[in-house]
Amino acid sequence: MKPKRLFSLAGALVAAAALAPAGAHHSFAAVFDGSKTVTLDGTIKEFKFVNPHALATVDVADDKGTVQQWTVEFDGRLNLTNFGWTDATIRPGEHVKISGNPERTGAPRIFFSKIVRADGTEVVRGGDRLNAIEEDRRLRAAQRAASPPAK
Amino acid sequence: MWSDPPRTALDAFCFFACTDTGLRRLAELLDDPANDTKPYGELSAIAAKHQTDEYLRPRLTDAALAATPLDPLQDPGYLYCEPWGFARQAFAPHQLEVKQYGDHVELHYGEWDAHRIVHLGERAPQDRPHTPLGYSVGHYDGDTLVVETSLITANAGPTRIFEEIRHSDQLTAVERYRRPAPERLELTATLIDPVTYREPIELKKVWKLAPDQQIAPYDSCEPAAAEPSQRKTQ
Repeated sequence: MKPKRLFSLAGALVAAAALAPAGAHHSFAAVFDGSKTVTLDGTIKEFKFVNPHALATVDVADDKGTVQQWTVEFDGRLNLTNFGWTDATIRPGEHVKISGNPERTGAPRIFFSKIVRADGTEVVRGGDRLNAIEEDRRLRAAQRAASPPAK
Repeated sequence: MWSDPPRTALDAFCFFACTDTGLRRLAELLDDPANDTKPYGELSAIAAKHQTDEYLRPRLTDAALAATPLDPLQDPGYLYCEPWGFARQAFAPHQLEVKQYGDHVELHYGEWDAHRIVHLGERAPQDRPHTPLGYSVGHYDGDTLVVETSLITANAGPTRIFEEIRHSDQLTAVERYRRPAPERLELTATLIDPVTYREPIELKKVWKLAPDQQIAPYDSCEPAAAEPSQRKTQ
């Protein structure tokens, strides 16, 4: 079955016989391929706001209407809390486009990077934190420009 | 309650642990106008590589360099949901709750929902068994909490900085926690392990005050070892 993706995986991925364990605590790089991105167009079936990793299941239909269930893994509740997330940030029944890095095994599972809701609003992994860091850099550059080093 | 570092470019570099060597390199990069348009991730990666190459790796013993690095897929935390040992837990990201009592301090981490007890006014014991988190004794040096930990079982190294290099059961550590500003908690830790490190290594970390946060249960870890034969990496 070919799930409806906005971007296909580059290269052939080996399909695993079964889903990987839902919530093992792991190193990202060992399990997911950060060089590839998959975008799923589907409906949230369940969202678990738990440690060590929050999880969502997403029903993704292909062109023939056949549904495949994908697992989306997130940072843990302990980290998402810092982003302001709650157990209601992602709601079952919501239609979304959700992007992430695929599992190296080829299992239908990604690590979350971005969600686009039906109304077009986006939630990006670590977005607020990255924006704050970039703002700090802009302030640092402005201070540098205002007081150049003495020659 | 304390949690992730202040959202500045330098503090974010110490999300797990950092060194003065890495911080200095990052500051140089940030102060170079040629880098103003480069993403933060690119600069922090350069600084991280610099601290590994210039500070951390030269301090490893031949035995540590020769040892087989920890395979993340063989990590007991991943395979069996085994909580982290001292070297990873002390630098764990996210929440840290510090509770002070008359004769001890409790360090409660969001990661693994782990607890450490620092026994105040005691001397380091000699006759106890080694444990993953070791035995910690402490005292106050002015406003600084000084924690000495020993009797730590051999395990993986500090989180994301030398995790793949195991330390031996001779590891001891001196942690110094200070609060230079009401909303800022800093840790400077010296790790000593003659089997692994040629000389003591000094790591730093910072947290920001997060009074509204709570530590959530850590109850959904499913061991990967349940189905290892079904995992197949490329």
